[in-house]
Amino acid sequence: METGTLNKLSLFVEDLNETALAPNALKDAAHEFLAGQDFPTTRSERFKYTRLAKLANAAFSAAQSVNEVQIAQSKILIDAYTIVINHDNIQIPKNLPSGIEVSLIAETQIPFNEAAFYDIFGALNILHASLGISIHIRQNITLDKPLQILQINSGGKTFYRHHFSFEKNSEVAVYFISKNTEGHSSFAHTHFQYNIAKDARVKIFKIQDTNVGHFDFNEDRAKQAERSHFEINTITLCGSFVRNDAQVIIQGEHAQTYLNGAYWLKEEQHVANYTTIDHRVANCESFETYKGVATDKATAVFNGKVFVRKDAQKTNAYQSNANVLLSENASINSKPELEIYADDVKCSHGSTTGQLDENALFYLRARGLSEAAAKNLLLQAFMEDVLAYVKNEEVLAYVHKRIAARFNWNY
Amino acid sequence: MSNYTENELAQDLENQEYKFGFVTDIESDTVPVGLNEDIIRLISTKKNEPRWLLDYRLKSFAIWQQMTEPEWAHVQYQKPDFQAISYYSAPKQTKKYESWDDVEPELKETMKKLGISMEEQQRLTGVAVDFVMDSVSVATSFKEKLSELGIIFCSFSDAVQEHPELVQKYMGTVVPNTDNFYAALNSAVFTDGSFCYIPKGVRCPMELSTYFRINAGGTGQFERTLVVADEGAYVSYLEGCTAPQRDENQLHAAVVELIALQDAEIKYSTVQNWYPGDKDGKGGVFNFVTKRGLCETNSKISWTQVETGSAVTWKYPSCILKGDHSIGEFYSVAVTNNLQQADTGTKMVHLGKHTKSTIISKGISAGRSQNSYRGLVQINKSAHHARNFSQCDSLLMTDECGAHTFPYIECKNPTAKIEHEATTSKIGEDQLFYCMQRGISEEKAISLIVNGYCKEVLNQLPMEFAVEAQKLLAISLEGSVG
Repeated sequence: METGTLNKLSLFVEDLNETALAPNALKDAAHEFLAGQDFPTTRSERFKYTRLAKLANAAFSAAQSVNEVQIAQSKILIDAYTIVINHDNIQIPKNLPSGIEVSLIAETQIPFNEAAFYDIFGALNILHASLGISIHIRQNITLDKPLQILQINSGGKTFYRHHFSFEKNSEVAVYFISKNTEGHSSFAHTHFQYNIAKDARVKIFKIQDTNVGHFDFNEDRAKQAERSHFEINTITLCGSFVRNDAQVIIQGEHAQTYLNGAYWLKEEQHVANYTTIDHRVANCESFETYKGVATDKATAVFNGKVFVRKDAQKTNAYQSNANVLLSENASINSKPELEIYADDVKCSHGSTTGQLDENALFYLRARGLSEAAAKNLLLQAFMEDVLAYVKNEEVLAYVHKRIAARFNWNY
Repeated sequence: MSNYTENELAQDLENQEYKFGFVTDIESDTVPVGLNEDIIRLISTKKNEPRWLLDYRLKSFAIWQQMTEPEWAHVQYQKPDFQAISYYSAPKQTKKYESWDDVEPELKETMKKLGISMEEQQRLTGVAVDFVMDSVSVATSFKEKLSELGIIFCSFSDAVQEHPELVQKYMGTVVPNTDNFYAALNSAVFTDGSFCYIPKGVRCPMELSTYFRINAGGTGQFERTLVVADEGAYVSYLEGCTAPQRDENQLHAAVVELIALQDAEIKYSTVQNWYPGDKDGKGGVFNFVTKRGLCETNSKISWTQVETGSAVTWKYPSCILKGDHSIGEFYSVAVTNNLQQADTGTKMVHLGKHTKSTIISKGISAGRSQNSYRGLVQINKSAHHARNFSQCDSLLMTDECGAHTFPYIECKNPTAKIEHEATTSKIGEDQLFYCMQRGISEEKAISLIVNGYCKEVLNQLPMEFAVEAQKLLAISLEGSVG
């Protein structure tokens, strides 16, 4: 590649400043990784099914702040500690109980974990992340209410960075809600760093509900210590261009990991879920369930990878991806991978793509349900495996309401 | 190789690591080492080829020069030096064999060692064999009997001479010379192989078989197989491979094209037992093969493979399900031991309506080997009501080996049904215990369990091959559990 001429990537980052958040060693690594790079094409393995041309050619509107009414409307949980992030405005609640510390990442920082870059976006985040929060949960703390983080995108290009540290034996549920305001085109890349200490029990729920014009990139990097329990449940309700890339490194024995995802796609939506679970020690379990429905011209991608390293004997890893295709022009790409270097393990994966069971449809129709109602019921049941992980009634109600409205499904 | 003595041969046979590690002492006619247009012209002239084939070779060579070696496979190896290979090595003889009795005794001896003594096979099994040693087809049995039915089964070179219209019509239609690095190389330098044509409505009465063997040192084997089953025809085709034990790596880059026209069926079975290298990973064959079949309406192609040899295997027998109601099948057992690496699987490309594919892949890793399944199931927009079922199981024998699965599933049609499942585990201790408690030794018990595990695939093989494959499995896994 010629140096000196501006490629699409350098045009993309032209108006972004390099920030002082990351340590220099990481920045140097990011610079080295990005040297001479352009947006990856579909020839690159990680973007085989994602066309970035759309992003490279997009024009972004200027970032604008949203008002309090809009913020209030965007909340899903009423009874929760709510943090609001809207481009340069971060609101942290004052009434937080002791044992939880939330601050701006620029002020107090949980140190950066060392990083290996999977793609350009991770490296760009190191260089350009300016906004974000640090959340620290102290030893033995069980939060009485869930934590709600509301990230509202209203134009512009932003790299966010949120660092979480869950100390020994803490317990918390975090609801991360991403939305965007209509009429703005925006790009957000959000990096989540989680350090989960011994015996901690952490559940992350991501409710992704963004509209046309927003590019939503997410990168989760977690490290788990022994006997910890960690979940990421990603519920993609809407989003024209969503990429989720989660990686969990299991460093302590007897840890449990759950990565789940549900996605409902229509129109020209593109949702890609990439997961990596890295079993480095023995006696751990991991479970992945990703389920989705695609109609119109939507494309869904699932790429799950499970590593079982040489020392990770007695690992139990299970991975499943199921899809229902509802239209001629929708497509599903699934790639469940296993890389196993230990012998005393039980690992399996399954992937299915198909349509609703005709016998089940007939059964319901014979009992007087209309075709549409029968289909809706079956689709609802299909997705319930994943939604079962969401215990919060308010969130479930919101999910059902949004899906019903978008797909004209009556529950 | 001149420095290879009888004593060494005896030793090699004695150490039993690799049963087929012998060299036949026949004078070979080998072209100079290296690759350029002149070499290709030389090969072409030696084989007395028509102009169009030389042009095809030269064009392929030009395409190959523009390509780079692929690196995406989950294998690590020292890339072959393409200028250090001799691209043509033929057992030296000027006269064509008139009958089986004319074949030199040494060569017959080789075949005997390989267990494919022709007299015996002709008499007992009724299998017609085309034997390819180094690069040139040596003898084809049962030719007359087959020709009564209009079946053409001969070496590729003979086919070029005698049936140029068929070769020209079908060659490169399934695997074009632009397909990949090794297919382009093969298209430029291929020396021989087998050609088979089954005419309309004919059911081939016997199994056709080819045996490949790399004999001379420093040679690569680039054979080309083309099987055409015309409308309503049926053929079962077997392919076996061995190579002598050598310290250096030998390259095997073959191209196999199958064409099943309307209502035809082709069953293609492979038992691959190239030299896998020694315990420390020294030597062994690089097996970089492109195999692909094209299915027209209502036709069926079934690939069965038992892969036990080669230092590095890189092979994806595929089916293009072009016609409506066509069927593709892939049954595979891949065994890796010591430092062997295998990256193998299949591609099922569904284009026609109501197309079906089945993939059953069983991987067994032992020693310090790496065994990967890599597969693609692609349902295109036009493939209404396509159906796929894939099952990929891996068995791990030691804590130093690896088993990996990389399935790609792409679906663009809402009426298609795709299922994929994969499991990885080791031999159950309870199963072993059960067998050993009943007085079966550990080694025997493992072999029993492994055989049961592979049964689904082995059952697809023709009888004689299944027996051989079971023996091979036992040899490959000998001493792998301790």
